Amino acid sequence: MDCEKYEELFTGWINKDISPAEREKLEKHLATCNGCREELAFMQAMWTDMGEIATPEPSAHMEVKFRAMLDTFKTQEAEKFSFKNWLGNLWQMQPRWPMAYNLAVILVAFGFGFWAMNKGTNNQDKGQLQELSAQVHELKQTMVLAMLENPSASERMKAVSYTSEMKHADDQVIEALLSTLNNDPNVNVRLTTLETLSEMTRYPEVREGLIRSIKGQDSPLMQSAIADVMLKLQEKKSVGSFKELLKQKDLDNGVRNKIEQTISHLI
Amino acid sequence: MNTLTDNAIMLKVKAGELDLMGLLFQRYHRQLYGFLFHMTYQKEASEDMVQQVFYKMLKYRASFAGTSEFVHWMYAIARNVLKDQGRKKKLTMAGIAVDELADVIPGGVEVNGQIERKQAAQTLQKAMAKLKEDDRDILSLSRFQELKHGEIAQIMNISEGAVKVRVHRAMCQLKEIYTRIER
Repeated sequence: MDCEKYEELFTGWINKDISPAEREKLEKHLATCNGCREELAFMQAMWTDMGEIATPEPSAHMEVKFRAMLDTFKTQEAEKFSFKNWLGNLWQMQPRWPMAYNLAVILVAFGFGFWAMNKGTNNQDKGQLQELSAQVHELKQTMVLAMLENPSASERMKAVSYTSEMKHADDQVIEALLSTLNNDPNVNVRLTTLETLSEMTRYPEVREGLIRSIKGQDSPLMQSAIADVMLKLQEKKSVGSFKELLKQKDLDNGVRNKIEQTISHLI
Repeated sequence: MNTLTDNAIMLKVKAGELDLMGLLFQRYHRQLYGFLFHMTYQKEASEDMVQQVFYKMLKYRASFAGTSEFVHWMYAIARNVLKDQGRKKKLTMAGIAVDELADVIPGGVEVNGQIERKQAAQTLQKAMAKLKEDDRDILSLSRFQELKHGEIAQIMNISEGAVKVRVHRAMCQLKEIYTRIER
């Protein structure tokens, strides 16, 4: 009946984790109890066999992962530490009462500001609206500039017509339009550009650009179209350019006549 | 550095020399992996948990008092990680068919005359897998990690007498399952 008490000592006996007194007690019992001797022998065999159970090796990249984890942890700690220090220093730097007073003043100022802002909401709305429309305008310009680079002629024409919708064009847009006027391979695009630019002649740089482009145009269509625009504008400065155009030998006869007429009208 | 005791190293880590945790990793990651593997029989999960244990030892380094052994502290944390994982998803043997175990666990070196013992070990392994988690826990610490009853008592925060009883009960359970499989 007592066997149960002794059995609890078995594992201690097997792995030599037992006090001398308990050991003696158990061994005395074993000498007299067959059942316990057999049980202990079985347990011991099992204990030994358990030692044969293999454990797989951890993979080699475990240490790499550990190093990475350690590095991340170190940086996190460093950040936390420096932030704490910074806060601490801020508090230590000045005597506390003035600091607290400053904080109070800041809070009051914020409160007042908030109140004042609420009162002036209408003004603020207007300001925001203006800012917003400015942003939209800027967006439009960017879009037009990008479209002017488009390989499709119809897209470029669309871009040019968009610019005529703009209330005010800035230097960048004008420059892009003039460059299209002079360099675009498609005559239709150039014609549309000329049409758009003729609406923008209030800008001096547009007028100058148009005059400069007279000499560069080789298509009769463009040449006569520019002549029309100059006549409409009564732009006397363009006469020089037209005279130079007349010097070209391969100038279309119809265009030659038209330009001569234009010059006589302008003078 | 290599002559320093685990406790001395851990106390330095606690004082801010975080790099020294690398030394403790080198000393104990295999052992810890073995413990976690025998508790889950899942290689990747065990490796992940080793990382978690070392991360927790870094994070909670301030709680290392240095009055007891570093290893005991480490196992206590490992057992908590196991519990957390078990709560998240059933990481225990319930998910693995015992017959698949032979694929998971590598065989020992086959020396003449040892084949029989190897077979016995494989059967025992299957029996271990069928044990309740608590029983496997205490046997892993006692047999595989070769910890004394007193040490297990510290890790589990129970009396040494209770450890003896529980180890014995776990052995009885193991024997019962083992003989059932043998037959």
